[in-house]
Amino acid sequence: MLETKVDKVLDLKGLLCPVPVVKVSQAIKALPIGAVIEATATDPGVLADIPAWARSTGNEVLSIERQNKVITFRVKRVK
Amino acid sequence: MARLDANKATLVKDTLGKLIDRKLLASLEVCVRCGICAESCHYYLADPRPEHAPFYRSEQVRRLYRSLFDPIGRHLPWWVGAQRPTEESLAQLAEMAFSTCTLCRRCTLNCPSGCDTAQIMRAMRTVAVAAGLAPEMLVQLADASIAREEHLEDFKEIYLEQVRALEEEVREATGDPQAHIPVDVEGADILYVALSGAHTILPAAILFHEAGSNWTLSMFEASNYGVFLADTARAKRITERIVREAERLRVREVVVTDCGHAYTTLRWEAPNWFGKPFPFQVRSLIELVAGWISDGIITVDPTHNPEPVTYHDSCNLGRNSGLIEEPRTILRAVCQDFREMTPNREHNYCCGGGGGLVATPEWTDLRLKAGGPKAQQVRATGAQVVAASCDNCRIQLGDISEHYALGTRVVGLMELVVKALVPQRAKGHPLEADVA
Amino acid sequence: MSTLEVVTGVLALTGLAVCVVGLGWRVSGVQGRPFRWDVAPAKGSAARGVAYAFTLGMAPWAKESTRRHLLAYVRGILLHLAIFAGLAWLAASPWHAEVPKVVRLLTASVLTAGMAMGLAGFWMRRREPALRQLSTPDDYASLGLVTLFLATAALSAVAAWCLPGLWALSGLMLAYIPFGKLRHFVYFFYTRTFFGLLFGRRGVLESAR
Ligand code: SF4
Ligand code: SF4
Repeated sequence: MLETKVDKVLDLKGLLCPVPVVKVSQAIKALPIGAVIEATATDPGVLADIPAWARSTGNEVLSIERQNKVITFRVKRVK
Repeated sequence: MARLDANKATLVKDTLGKLIDRKLLASLEVCVRCGICAESCHYYLADPRPEHAPFYRSEQVRRLYRSLFDPIGRHLPWWVGAQRPTEESLAQLAEMAFSTCTLCRRCTLNCPSGCDTAQIMRAMRTVAVAAGLAPEMLVQLADASIAREEHLEDFKEIYLEQVRALEEEVREATGDPQAHIPVDVEGADILYVALSGAHTILPAAILFHEAGSNWTLSMFEASNYGVFLADTARAKRITERIVREAERLRVREVVVTDCGHAYTTLRWEAPNWFGKPFPFQVRSLIELVAGWISDGIITVDPTHNPEPVTYHDSCNLGRNSGLIEEPRTILRAVCQDFREMTPNREHNYCCGGGGGLVATPEWTDLRLKAGGPKAQQVRATGAQVVAASCDNCRIQLGDISEHYALGTRVVGLMELVVKALVPQRAKGHPLEADVA
Repeated sequence: MSTLEVVTGVLALTGLAVCVVGLGWRVSGVQGRPFRWDVAPAKGSAARGVAYAFTLGMAPWAKESTRRHLLAYVRGILLHLAIFAGLAWLAASPWHAEVPKVVRLLTASVLTAGMAMGLAGFWMRRREPALRQLSTPDDYASLGLVTLFLATAALSAVAAWCLPGLWALSGLMLAYIPFGKLRHFVYFFYTRTFFGLLFGRRGVLESAR
């Protein structure tokens, strides 16, 4: 994973869809443009949901990785 | 009070006007404000304030309706309580429609006239969306579903990778090294539409495998936030993804996962948007599994679920879709100690998480409070496990279990079935196709 | 016939005419709105749903809400029955002298009970905070007209000299029906039918499964 400055870390483990997307959306709203969120989740639904949400809201998924059952992703606020 | 500018006023009038069909008009006109339906609403039971009574809510929308469409309301507004919309009143109406009504229709069942307050609230939601007053999160989630189809190529690999990882678990659970999760199979009998996430794919895959079904997994998720927005254009667009996929794969039926609004939408509402029945049957996984259990196609052992279990009827599945006995057929077979809540079936209380409320964090406190009657119902059963057959309910039931310190565990109905399952297929048990 | 009787009789008939034309306008308003049958294949029976909606579904014990508000519901039923009786009496009233006394006494007692139910309506509307907040002048006027109608109908059943009072009030009430909340009864038949269709087709109502 690229060394990016992370402005907020979210633990979304154990949460089911759509809660991870809701939490990311809420958290990003509170950050300035250009800020980055790093989140960990266990619901594999985020693999498709987060990129789809980012596309429709105009934000950017910097990375999304899966290790065993834990998914880690970084989202940057663009708009 | 800021008056609406002319454009917005026209927009509100036109949007509401287009929604007023015979059913909505009758519900707008029929209420005599008798007050009988008050306690049928979980919001009112949890917090008996006038504004939580169903007729109080619908009356706010009626005031708008009378001011725009009723001659008496237009000319003598004070006489019939008509109220022309202002910026403030419109914002209040929008908030009311999205935050204090889960569209559960319990009040409809309880109104001596059968007034459909949920339809009135839905109409208000549509007006709010048109006026740009919809909750941001519901809009984002609906648009994300649409983006998922528009950029399918970007997500396909990631999705298939997720499915392949789950296949391992299916093999483990069934003891069959050949077990797999078919995706995009043309000519399959069944297109199964899950939700995002493993918990609705895995149990279904295990059960389809055990039943020997000829099925394929959808590329899309069943949930439809356009429905919560009461935005038919978005809702139709989200449903179309599944309809197109089913037609392309030439399946005989579409099976929807345990999800209340998704089932009600595809089974009952969406055909009306398209103006014709679908060329495939729509069933819930619950119906299939109940049938498999009754017909002995899958074998279950209730001793695997020994603790007391109660069942929460999702308003969408039960009161709005008639899936009432099927979950009970399942629960009586897979649990040793199944206990009914009171009231239950079509009379069940909404958990408070419906109508999109679990996805609108701005109203979390209200949602948890409105879950009070459900918490009492659960507690009275003494059950340790609450079985849910809808993901929205499942989230809310988990939250209220914590909030009200119920000490209950919330599990999906299908997870209970899988826990009780005695895999037979690896031993050469007859397949569904052979039995049929 | 006295002049008063003629004048009030004409008033009643004019009210009736306004009522019929006004309700025709209301019905054409609702009929003019789009209606589409559900196209999704049925699970239960729509016909049985509708039958239930208009029969057992109206029973006081059929709904949690009416069990809880038994008094209010029974009050409503009695009030409506009394209104029907009142209208029947109104139709028969020109032949007052030919109606046997026992029938008139019976009618008067039913109508008096109805009037009491009307008065109770005022009390309910003031007592319940939500109803108090929502009630409009139309609510009170409608209830007032009906209660007065029942009162004069009851009186006139036993005292013929009250007939002009009944006719005048009936004219007023009938003419008001299409414009105020009293018109709700027209829509009742629609909502109850839609209720039966919805919950019947979807197999929600036990009797329609
Ligand atoms: S919705 Fe029905 S029960 Fe509720 S106040 Fe109106 S008429 Fe009465
Ligand atoms: S539909 Fe449900 S939540 Fe909405 S007012 Fe009626 S009972 Fe309350």
